[in-house]
Amino acid sequence: MKVFVYSVFTVLLFAFSACIEIIDDLSINEDGSGTFKYTVNLSSSKVKVNSILALDSLDGKKVPSLTEIEQKLKDLEASLKEQEGISKVAFSADYDNFIFKLKCDFSSLAVLQNAVKELAIKENKGNEIPELQKEWLAFENDTLIRSVPKITLVKTNKINKRDTELLKEGNYTSITRFSNEIISYSNEKAKLSKSKTAIMIRTNPYFLTQNPQLLDNVISLKDSE
Amino acid sequence: MDTMKFFTSAFVLFYSLITYSQQTEDLIPTKAISVFSINSGSLLQKISLDDLVKYDFMEGVQQELFDGSTSGKTIKESGIDFDQKLNVFFGKGEQYEVSGFTFGISDEDELFEVFDDFEQQESAYEGTEQYNSYMSHLVVTDKKGVLIRVMPNYRSVSKMADSIWMSQGNKRSYYNDWYYDDYTEIIEETEAVEFTEEMETEEDTSSPSEKAQFPVADEDPTKKTYYELRDSVRMVLNASFLKEVLDDLLISKNNLKKTSSKFAQQLTSDAQGIFYFDNSRFNQMGNYHHYRPFYSSFYNYVDELYENNTVVGEIMLNDGLIELNIDANYNNKLGSIYTELSNSKFDKNVLNYIHKDNQAFFTYNVNLREAYEQTYKTLVPLLEKSKNSRAQQSLLMLDLFDEFANKDAIFNTYKGSMFGSFNGIKKVKTTKIIYHYDEESFEGTETEVESEEDMPIFTLGFSSKNNAFSDKFLRRIMVLSHKEVHKEGDLWIIDRGALNAAPLYFILKNDLFIVSNDENLALNHIDGYGSESLSKDFAKKAKKSKFLYGHADFGKAIDDLPPSIFSKKENEMIDALKGKTGQVELTSSSIDQEKASFQFSYSYNEQNEDVATYVLDIINSLYTHSK
Repeated sequence: MKVFVYSVFTVLLFAFSACIEIIDDLSINEDGSGTFKYTVNLSSSKVKVNSILALDSLDGKKVPSLTEIEQKLKDLEASLKEQEGISKVAFSADYDNFIFKLKCDFSSLAVLQNAVKELAIKENKGNEIPELQKEWLAFENDTLIRSVPKITLVKTNKINKRDTELLKEGNYTSITRFSNEIISYSNEKAKLSKSKTAIMIRTNPYFLTQNPQLLDNVISLKDSE
Repeated sequence: MDTMKFFTSAFVLFYSLITYSQQTEDLIPTKAISVFSINSGSLLQKISLDDLVKYDFMEGVQQELFDGSTSGKTIKESGIDFDQKLNVFFGKGEQYEVSGFTFGISDEDELFEVFDDFEQQESAYEGTEQYNSYMSHLVVTDKKGVLIRVMPNYRSVSKMADSIWMSQGNKRSYYNDWYYDDYTEIIEETEAVEFTEEMETEEDTSSPSEKAQFPVADEDPTKKTYYELRDSVRMVLNASFLKEVLDDLLISKNNLKKTSSKFAQQLTSDAQGIFYFDNSRFNQMGNYHHYRPFYSSFYNYVDELYENNTVVGEIMLNDGLIELNIDANYNNKLGSIYTELSNSKFDKNVLNYIHKDNQAFFTYNVNLREAYEQTYKTLVPLLEKSKNSRAQQSLLMLDLFDEFANKDAIFNTYKGSMFGSFNGIKKVKTTKIIYHYDEESFEGTETEVESEEDMPIFTLGFSSKNNAFSDKFLRRIMVLSHKEVHKEGDLWIIDRGALNAAPLYFILKNDLFIVSNDENLALNHIDGYGSESLSKDFAKKAKKSKFLYGHADFGKAIDDLPPSIFSKKENEMIDALKGKTGQVELTSSSIDQEKASFQFSYSYNEQNEDVATYVLDIINSLYTHSK
C-alpha cells in the first residue's frame, strides 16, 4: 500500500515532509472483496505546512498551491473511479488540519492492485514501473500475503537528508481486517486485536522507506467453513 | 643632457606601456550590465575549481567547460594569471543576453587542459586566437582571455522564426484548433500574450514539455517542424549577435571601461573585489523591457528618471571583517526624490519594541509625504512631455489624487517609517488530531489534542499618527473575517492568525501600528520592552544611520530564518550565507542629490572561517540579485 504514498500523495510527501502520520486500513471480506482506507494526517505540522504553502518554491522544487493540490487530488479521485472493480470512491480533505482521507471498495485484491498500478503509471507519465510488476497482495486459501513494492525505496533515495529526518518523526500505521479470525501471522512486529479479526503494524515512514519488508506479512485465517 | 634625455624617453616609454597595455577589464563588452572584479589572486588561489564552478556567476560556462576536466584541480593550476583581475560580467540587450568572464593567462597549456572541450577556429580578429565549444567562445589576445556566451532571447527568436514559419503558409506557431475556431480569435489571443521574464531569458528547446503542442510543417520529412526551425534561427542569431559583440570589442575597441566612467573609476580601487551594476540599463532591458513594444513611450519617463543610475561597490577584507561599501549613483531628478524621502526624523518609539536579545532587526526611516510631493513635482513635467495616451491617463489620475485626496490623512496614517525584528524560533501552542485504536477491533477514533510547534517570532511595526483609523479598520475586519478577532484594550488578537495556527497580535500604541506573533510582547510588554529593549549601542547606531539600519547575528538567525517571508532571490542569498557565523550590519551613511551610500559589514571568527568562500558567496549573492 505504500505505493499510494508515491502515487496518490507524492505531492504531499515531497512538499510537506513534515511530521506526517499515514494510516492504511484494508478490510477484506471472505470473497476477497473489501474496503481500502488511506489517511494522511499532517495536523501536527500545521505551521510548517502553512509556511511551506506560502512559498513559490522550496529547494528548487515548485510548491503547489492549495488549489493545485485540490485539483491534483480530484484528478486522482476521478482516475480511481474509472478503474474497473473499484466503487464507492470517497475523498475528503480538511485543509485546516491538513488531513486527507481516501476510501474505496474493491471487488478483489487483484483489482485494487491493478488500480494502484494504473494510477502510478499514469503519474509516471504513462511509463511502466518495473517494481510494480510483482504482485504485492494475494489472498488465496484463507491466507493473505502482503508486501510493499520496492518502488518506495527507489523514490525515497531521492529525498534529501533533512527531509528524511522529518520522516523519522512520523508514524505509519497499517491495519488489515478480516471477517474471520486470524490464526497465524509471520510479521513479529504485528499486533493482533482482541477480537482476532484485525492486525496492526506501526512503524515510521522513514524506516518503511528504507525497509519496505517491514510490512510484509503472511496472515492465515481460520477456515471460513 | 643625453643621459637626461635617455631617462626621460625610457620613463615615457615605460609609462606608456603600463598605461596602454591591455588589461583584462578591457575585454568586458559594452553590453555588460553587471560586473564583478576580483582583485586578489591570493584570495582565489585556495579555491578548488570544482568549488568555483558551482557558483551561479559561473553558470554560463559550467556545462561546456567543467565536465570533469577540473576534477581535483585548484584554480592555481588552471593557467589563470592571478596578477591580473578576474572579471565576471552579465549583460542584457534588446535581443540577447551576454555573459562570461575575462582573465589573465599565465600558462596556455594548463588553461587548455581545463578548457579541453574548446576547439580552435580561424579568428576573424587580428592578433587574437579564437576557440569554441558549442555556445561558449574563448578569445585569447596578449595573454588575456575573454570567455563569452551570447544567447538570443525568446522574443528575437520568435519574431524571426514565426515570420519564416508563416511565410511558408503555416498557421501561427501557437495555433491549436481545439481552442480556436477561427482566425479572428487567434489574433485576439496573440495580442493578449504577455511576455514573462522567463521568456526573455535564453530558451531551451532541447527537451520540450510533453504537454506542449508541437506544430508540424507537413508530412514531408525534409521540411522542418516549427521547433526545428526555431533551433536553426537561434543558431543563426547566436552567430550574428556574437559577431556584433566581438566586432564592437575587438575591431571598434569599445569596452565597458571606455563607455562607463563610473566603472573605470571603480576599477582604480585597490579593494579585493569591486562590483558595478548599471540600474538604468537593467530597467530598460530588464523588468519593463517585455512591455516596451506595446507601451514604449509610456516607459520613457521611467528611463529618464533612472538615467545615470548605477550601483558601484568595493569589497574589502580586514582582520576578521569583510566590508562592502556601496554607492547608489543617480541623476538629480531621482536624487531630489531620495533626498526628500530620507528627510525624516527618527522615530525613537520603535526602539522600545525591539528586544535586546533579538536575532535580527532593522529600522527604516523615511518621509513619504515629502517624497510624494517631490515625486509629483518631478514626474508631472516628465509625463506632460509625453504624447502617449497612457502617460496622459497616469497624469490625469495623479492630478485627481493630488487635488482631491486627503494627503494629510493618508501620510499621517502611514508615514513610511517602519521597523522589524526577528526573535528566533519559539514553541507556540496549536492543536493536532491524533488517532486512538481500541484493543478489541483496532477501530480508530479521532481526537483533537493540544500540541506545540516551532514558529518564527516576528514583529513588524509602522509609525502612524492615526491609530484611531487603524482601530476602526480592524473593527470592520472583525465583522468580515471568518477568523475569531477580538479586542483587549489597545490590543487586537486574531486567533490562529499566524500561519493558521497561532494568535496574531495588533498593537496600537505610542503612534505605532505593530503586527506581531510574539506573545511576550503583546501580553506582557504592550508599552514596549523598557529595560529589556535594544541596547544603547545599537539604539545609537540605528538613530545615527537614520534612513536604514540593520543588524543580524548570523550564528543565531540565518538558520532559523523562515524562507516563506523572502523572495526566491533573497532566499538564494540567505542559502549562500547559511552555516556561517558572525555579525552582519547594514548602515546608510548619507543620501544626497547625487548618491546614497551604504555600508555592509560582516565580522567573523577569523581563525575558523574560509574568507575566500565568504567573499565568493557575497559576490554570488549580488550576482544572482542583479540578474
